[in-house]
Amino acid sequence: MKFKKGCFLYVLLLCCCMGMLPSCNNENPSAFDKTVPKETATQQPPYIPALMNDSGYTPVDRSPMDMAYFPADYPTLRMNGINTGSPLARVIYSRPQKNGRTIFGNTEKNTCQYGKEWRLGANEATEIEFFTTARIQNQKLPAGRYIIYCIPYPEKWVIVFNSELFTWGLHINPEKDIARFELPVTHTTNTIEIFTMEFLPATKGANLLMAWDHNRTELPISF
Amino acid sequence: MKKLLLSLFIICMTTVFAVAQNKVPAVDKSPMDMSYYPAGYPVLKIGDKVTEPLAARVIYSRPQKNGRNVFGELLEYGKVWRLGANEATEIEFYLPVTINKVKVKKGRYTMYCIPYADKWTIILNKELDTWGSFRYDAKKDIVRMDVPVQKLTEITESFAMYFEKATAGVGLNIAWDDVKVILPINF
Repeated sequence: MKFKKGCFLYVLLLCCCMGMLPSCNNENPSAFDKTVPKETATQQPPYIPALMNDSGYTPVDRSPMDMAYFPADYPTLRMNGINTGSPLARVIYSRPQKNGRTIFGNTEKNTCQYGKEWRLGANEATEIEFFTTARIQNQKLPAGRYIIYCIPYPEKWVIVFNSELFTWGLHINPEKDIARFELPVTHTTNTIEIFTMEFLPATKGANLLMAWDHNRTELPISF
Repeated sequence: MKKLLLSLFIICMTTVFAVAQNKVPAVDKSPMDMSYYPAGYPVLKIGDKVTEPLAARVIYSRPQKNGRNVFGELLEYGKVWRLGANEATEIEFYLPVTINKVKVKKGRYTMYCIPYADKWTIILNKELDTWGSFRYDAKKDIVRMDVPVQKLTEITESFAMYFEKATAGVGLNIAWDDVKVILPINF
C-alpha cells in the first residue's frame, strides 16, 4: 500500500512537471517578458532608429537582432573545436513580437498584409549570406550576401532574394531582385510569439525555417 | 503497477518530446545589434541621404549592467573579454582602414578587449564566426591598440558600440556601465 502511494505521488509529480513544461516555451508571453530588457518599454517605434536614450547612447531595439548559422550553432561548435571548417550559411534578422496582434491578414491593420512586401523581420533588411554556392528549387545562388524578403499570402509565402544590401527593410527595390521562391505555408495551432528564423538540417543541406504567429514555412537549400 | 508506471512514463516523455519539437529559439538575453558608419546608413540609404560611402559595420550583443559592477568585478582587469556577449563581436570594413598605424584590409574581423582600470586594449583578430573569447588566439591578431578609459557621469545600462565622425576618420565609441573608450579608425 505504501509502495502504491509512493507510485501515485511520483506519477502526480511527473504530471505536474508536464503541466509546467509549456511555460518553458518561449511562445509563452511571461517567459518572453523576462528576456526583453526593460529599456525597450520607453523606446521609440522600431522604424525610427532612436539614437539617444537617458544615458546618451544607442538604446536596445524593441525587436532585437539575432543571428542563425548553418550548421546550427556554428560559433559554439567552432569554439569547442568540433567544426573548424567554414560555415555554410548565416542569416541576420530582427525579431518582432506578436504582442496580441493578428500579424497576417488582408487589412492595413495587419502587421503583414497579404500580397505586400514584408522585410521578413524588423528594422534593417534581413540579410542572408552563403559561404558556398547554394541551390534553391534548381536555381544556383553564388556564395555571397543577399537581402531576403517575403510576400505573404494565406496559403503561400513568396521568398525573394535581392542584391540591395545594407538597407532598411521598409524600402524594397524590386529591380534588384535576383530570385523568387514560392513556399507553402503551414498553419500552426500554437502561437509563435517571436518571429524566428533558423536552419534545420536536411538531407542535402538545410531548411531555413521562418515562423511567426500561426504561420510557418521552410525554404529548402542544398549546398 | 510497474507496467502502469512505465507506460505513464513513456506517455510523459513523448509529450516532452512533442513540446520540444514545437520550440523555436528564444530571444537572447543580451540581444544583438548593429551599428554602421555612416551612422544609420540603412535609413540614410532609403531616404537617399547618403553623403559618404559605406565604411564600417559592427555586429555585437548587448549585455546589461543589471545592478552589477561591470569592470573590475564582472569583467576581471587584464583578462580577454569578447566585447559584448554570445557570438564574438564582428567588425566589417568596406574599404581599407588604418588602426594604430596598421593597414587593415576590407573584410570581416572579430573584436576583443582586455580591460584595465585606466585603459582598454582593443584587439582585431581574424578568427571568424566563433563564440565569445573562449578560444581567443593572439597569433591570429591583426592589430591591437591601447585606448584611454573615459569616466562617464551617467550609467550606460546596455553595452553600446557606435561610430562617430572624428577629425581624421571615425571613432568607434564603446560604452558600458560608467566608462567609455573611443577606438580611432582612419580611412
